[in-house]
Amino acid sequence: MDLRRSLSGLTVLASIVLLLSDQGVAQTPKRGGTLRVSYGNEIANLDFHTAPGYEMMWVAMNVGCGLINITSDGKFVGDAAESWQISPDALSYTFKLRKNVLFHDGTPVDAAAVKFSIDRLMDPATKSGMRTFYDPVHSVEVLDPLTVQIRLRQPYAFMLHMLAAYRTGLVLYSPTATQKYTLQERQQGKPGAVIGCGPFRLVEWNKGSQLVMDRFDKYFVPGLPYLDRVVIRVIKDPVTEMAAFKAGEIDFIASFSPEHVDTLRAHNPRAQILTGKETTPMLAAMKVTVPKDGKPMSKERAPHPIFGDLRVRKAIGCHGIDRQEIVKIAFKGQATPWVGMNPPGTLDTVDVNAMCPYDQAKAKALLAEAGYGPQKPLTFELMTNTEKSVFSVITTVIKEQMGRIGVTANIRLVDKVTWMNTTLQDGPWDMYVEDLLSLITLDSNAYLSNSTSSWSHPRHNDPKVDEYYARYARELDAGKRRAIAKELVEFMADKMYWNNISGSPFYMVAQPWMKGYTYNAEFEVHYDRVWLDK
Amino acid sequence: MRVYLLKRLLNIVPTVLMITFVVFVMMRSVPGDPVVALLGDAYNEEDAVRVRQAYGLDKPVLLQYVIWLGKLVQGDWGASILSGRPVLHDVLVRLPVTLELIVLSMAVALAIAIPAAIIGAVRQNTWPDYAATTVAMIGVSIPEFFAGILLLLVFSFGLGGLLPSSGWIYLPGTCPSIVCGVSFWGNAMHVLMPAVALGIGRAAILTRLLRASMLEVIRTEYVTTARAKGVGEPSIVLKHALKNALIPTVTVMGLQVGFLIGGAIVVETLFAMPGLGTFGIDAIIARDYQQVQGFALITAFAFVVINLFVDLTYTFLDPRIRYGA
Repeated sequence: MDLRRSLSGLTVLASIVLLLSDQGVAQTPKRGGTLRVSYGNEIANLDFHTAPGYEMMWVAMNVGCGLINITSDGKFVGDAAESWQISPDALSYTFKLRKNVLFHDGTPVDAAAVKFSIDRLMDPATKSGMRTFYDPVHSVEVLDPLTVQIRLRQPYAFMLHMLAAYRTGLVLYSPTATQKYTLQERQQGKPGAVIGCGPFRLVEWNKGSQLVMDRFDKYFVPGLPYLDRVVIRVIKDPVTEMAAFKAGEIDFIASFSPEHVDTLRAHNPRAQILTGKETTPMLAAMKVTVPKDGKPMSKERAPHPIFGDLRVRKAIGCHGIDRQEIVKIAFKGQATPWVGMNPPGTLDTVDVNAMCPYDQAKAKALLAEAGYGPQKPLTFELMTNTEKSVFSVITTVIKEQMGRIGVTANIRLVDKVTWMNTTLQDGPWDMYVEDLLSLITLDSNAYLSNSTSSWSHPRHNDPKVDEYYARYARELDAGKRRAIAKELVEFMADKMYWNNISGSPFYMVAQPWMKGYTYNAEFEVHYDRVWLDK
Repeated sequence: MRVYLLKRLLNIVPTVLMITFVVFVMMRSVPGDPVVALLGDAYNEEDAVRVRQAYGLDKPVLLQYVIWLGKLVQGDWGASILSGRPVLHDVLVRLPVTLELIVLSMAVALAIAIPAAIIGAVRQNTWPDYAATTVAMIGVSIPEFFAGILLLLVFSFGLGGLLPSSGWIYLPGTCPSIVCGVSFWGNAMHVLMPAVALGIGRAAILTRLLRASMLEVIRTEYVTTARAKGVGEPSIVLKHALKNALIPTVTVMGLQVGFLIGGAIVVETLFAMPGLGTFGIDAIIARDYQQVQGFALITAFAFVVINLFVDLTYTFLDPRIRYGA
């Protein structure tokens, strides 16, 4: 009996040991292999400081390195910087760089290279979209070869967020390569011209075909990256993308259309569907002012003939749109109806849904107050673009909802460039449906919604919004900052300068054999710890 | 013949120039310009004005065209405004993919159309004829993208990746870059579904046309004479009827090249192929004027050259046709 018990005990113990050792083997990253990535959109060009689009940025953060990164739970971790200090007055940020960081051309990543990169971003001649975020920076000083200090004009509470993840973060450029090659050569993706300090070096970019990155053997983190190679292909059609994924032709879809997620899951039960808190706003923006003199971008503004009236904005945007229904139809319930300017996954988000309940009677009453009714029906143009099919679905639902309150919305479907052209250049439009960019902080939305930015499409001219943003960015106390955020979001909802419908869910899809990837939305897409378990 | 050929070759120049001019003017009439896409989130009005000046987009359209033409004469096709890449290089890299697709889709079309038309003409008003006509009607009615998606769902999605869904494997010796998949077999696997998707519609058109021509030829007196002389049926069908019925079909085949280029845009996008079709559509969407011009130039040139070739094949099909001065 004792012997039998001992034997069965041993068997159980052996099984546990075997199981653990098996798990141990499975968890040990394997070196080598090629990660095959699919993008839904083409990379515009490969000048990391100026090219638009997430597709470029996701290459930049693997070919390049920065000072710091941000984790999915909001913690800052060093990249080329091993440590940093903030002065008590928050006017200087001193970064100590790692000793062994090299650019792919063999030159060191030192304080001078950091200064060179930031100065380049701040130079108006560079025409970088990042320039506006560096407005608080007074200068960058080289204290010693491995110490660099960023000095600010005024305290900026989001300095580290900005360096880590605004437009998905600072990418350091090799001064030698940048001076040796022309901007056009960098844009073209000439391998010698695109020199970063990240885990992968650019091998080639054949626009329309593929982008190839190989492991950089002198990467500063010992043992990383695990992969030999990353190949990025563009597959625009989601059905083709799904077929390629199911057939095992690709390992990772960097951005997958939400409306096809259920189908993909049904056909690939073992696929890793990666998603998180929504950080991108889905907007039904209303134009608030138009140029008084008829000249686009004129500083002399007049109220928009329809949405210049706050009562109409509230009737349509606040009470006339049923956000629950839109989310149910367009996102199959996989998004959050959200009135607040910053979506539920953004720092300092505020739920102000109670300010805008769906209420047809109230919407009609407000419209009547503004002079619209059966005798003078309201008609407006509802523009959207062809970039994502979900935009058209939302637009159609809004049109139907407008019909319920006696309003006619005429849909105008345009391509992305026409939409950008119309909205950025202060062209004629009434309302549009789009999701803009992902917001890691409320502060990063200043660029899309203050009164002076080109990207503030509604073109409200309310300086109070700018004051809120300025106070918010300068405030160093997190509690007080949250209070300002609440005031700002409530103010924007009350004035309907920013009309959110919901968050816009973001999905990535990985094969079961792709290991080591940490999801952090659009902000951090790193392949350095990825390995293939096959 | 030589004079005729020379005349036709010279005619190519004004035809291609006219096409490129029309495309040039039309592209600039479309709302939006590449500067908006180029500056992206860095867009502001001052920078946009400066960039437009730098690329000469602020100049009158006619002057822009003359400048483009002047550079073209010197062999400079310009560079993409968005990516900075030389247009000629990108066109040459992508041209073989589209050429292969078009040639194979035409081969698919002929492989279906010729037997179907022969059966339809020889066995008129029998069930094989009805079957061929019905299949032709279905083929004409199915757009390329729909045929492509169906093929994709069946052979890639449904049958566990029997055929690759996307991408491209190059034929040996044609890899345009450092890293390429290269193999005959891989290339055949990758081009099969796109060629069928693109060719099936053309097959239907050609079947109907060829069947009608053959029916006409079969009723002519010289075919009756041949039969009376005891010439065998296969010889009558293949040597007399088919060859003579091919003349209008070859004309239509030449014209179909234009449709094939248009269809290639859809099929290449669907199957994520690195060909001229995706190059063209991306350029149009991004308003990348230089690339659009490159695309228009090469496709217009291909179209007129193929139609010249078609005209020359008439002399082979019907020796009575002579091209004089």
